[in-house]
Amino acid sequence: MIGLNTLTYLFMALTSVISLIATYLAVLEKDLIRAVVYSALQSTAYTILFYLLMAPDIALVYVPVAVGLYPAVILFLVKKTERIDGELGSVEGDGGK
Amino acid sequence: MSEVDTFMFNVFIFSMILNTAISLYGIFARPTLIKKIIALTIFSDTANVLAIAVGYRAWPTVERSPIPPVLTTSEPTASDLTSFLQTAVDPLPQALVLTAIVIGLAVTLFLVFLTLQVYRLYRTTDVRKISRLRG
Amino acid sequence: MNVKKALILVSLIILVLTLSAAFTSSALGHYPLPLSGVRWLASWYLYTTLNPQYPKFTAMSPEAVTAIVWDYRGLDTLFETAVFFLAIVGALALMRGISLKSLAESNETTTEGAGSGLSLISKTAAKLLTPLIIAVSASIALHGHLTPGGGFQGGSAAAVAPLLLLVIFSVYFLLRRGISEKPMLTLRTAGLLGIYLTALAVVFTGLVTGVNAYVFQNQPKFDAPVGIPAYLFNTLVSGSLFLFNLSEYLAVAGGFTLVFILLSIPEELVMSLIRGEEHE
Repeated sequence: MIGLNTLTYLFMALTSVISLIATYLAVLEKDLIRAVVYSALQSTAYTILFYLLMAPDIALVYVPVAVGLYPAVILFLVKKTERIDGELGSVEGDGGK
Repeated sequence: MSEVDTFMFNVFIFSMILNTAISLYGIFARPTLIKKIIALTIFSDTANVLAIAVGYRAWPTVERSPIPPVLTTSEPTASDLTSFLQTAVDPLPQALVLTAIVIGLAVTLFLVFLTLQVYRLYRTTDVRKISRLRG
Repeated sequence: MNVKKALILVSLIILVLTLSAAFTSSALGHYPLPLSGVRWLASWYLYTTLNPQYPKFTAMSPEAVTAIVWDYRGLDTLFETAVFFLAIVGALALMRGISLKSLAESNETTTEGAGSGLSLISKTAAKLLTPLIIAVSASIALHGHLTPGGGFQGGSAAAVAPLLLLVIFSVYFLLRRGISEKPMLTLRTAGLLGIYLTALAVVFTGLVTGVNAYVFQNQPKFDAPVGIPAYLFNTLVSGSLFLFNLSEYLAVAGGFTLVFILLSIPEELVMSLIRGEEHE
């Protein structure tokens, strides 16, 4: 019989592994819009972690900030600037001039 | 804590440490300023989770979980306060992280405006291209 | 390329599991696990956050986190608020000289319904959701001394509402309803002024009545017998905590809305303004 404490710790471990995967994909993804979506997934995992660590205040402030405002602001920025991360070819072309 | 619980908690802690490492790689090695901002937010959030984990406490008994540092009555008796003291988690890291998250958002907004200004002046956000502009 | 990514990901997870197993069996030493108790300072905060038996020590709030943020460590929060608003002032300084008034006038001809924004379904949903978001955020902020929540949480939740309107309608929709730079700046300044006055309120009372008092004092202390009443009409308001939460709510919501409006100005207009400055 699995106790409630083991179940809580199991959920904590699973959520943190999900956040690890999301962080890896967000950092390595070339398309910035997809990177923002992976970053929001990581934020969702962190919200669950805050809840499991018994910090409802932090969960309340983290949901609007990291799941709502951060992605929206970064999407505004991506829309106004460029979408693809690191096009090396054009850099080398410019360097030759 | 039993062996299994310790293992699970260690998985949580080491995932956070690896998240720190990956986001630091993102800050240093990715060329675009926007990607650096995304990695920076992940880095600060991970630091916040680790700070909250410092304030966590082991389960008082197997059935009773720790509770948030909020009293559920506005007229507590002495026994209420004693049981609150025995089960509530540390409120101090939570108070520090609370302001850190909102300030982190304001600083990120400032960085977003800086990046926008860089793009308006140089027509790129790639740090390698920007460094070659002044050659 | 994708196989390589997946391989790295799997090896990262295996690294985490191996390290955890090694530390669990103490093969690489010990890792500090959660304590069975709390630290001495934390137990002091928990014991005195709402304790009528010690009226000279308590913060009179059942919410220990809000009590620490605005009473025990109040000066910390004051300077953190200063950092927060310096960052917003920095963002404003980068957008100086870009006037929103001319923007609204130049687009007077565009109608609300047809051309701009997303579909009618999203607009109706946004119109229904916006008052709900404002109500929930006000509830989070104003009950901050009783339940989880407070000025920072409520303010950032309230900032979601103008962002939703900006995305679903357009910046002109907000400007035509009077939500522009100046009112938001006023709201932000009113909030900051509220924090400033609440921090000094007990000092003023002490100066008038001729007793000792401190900056950021909430309840009466041993050598400073004045304070802000904890009960108002038999309702627990926790003295200065309620006022601080209300002021911080207005300040955070106003500051973020200001920055979002500036961020959503179309880029062509900003570029033409910058070019115009250079030619002059």
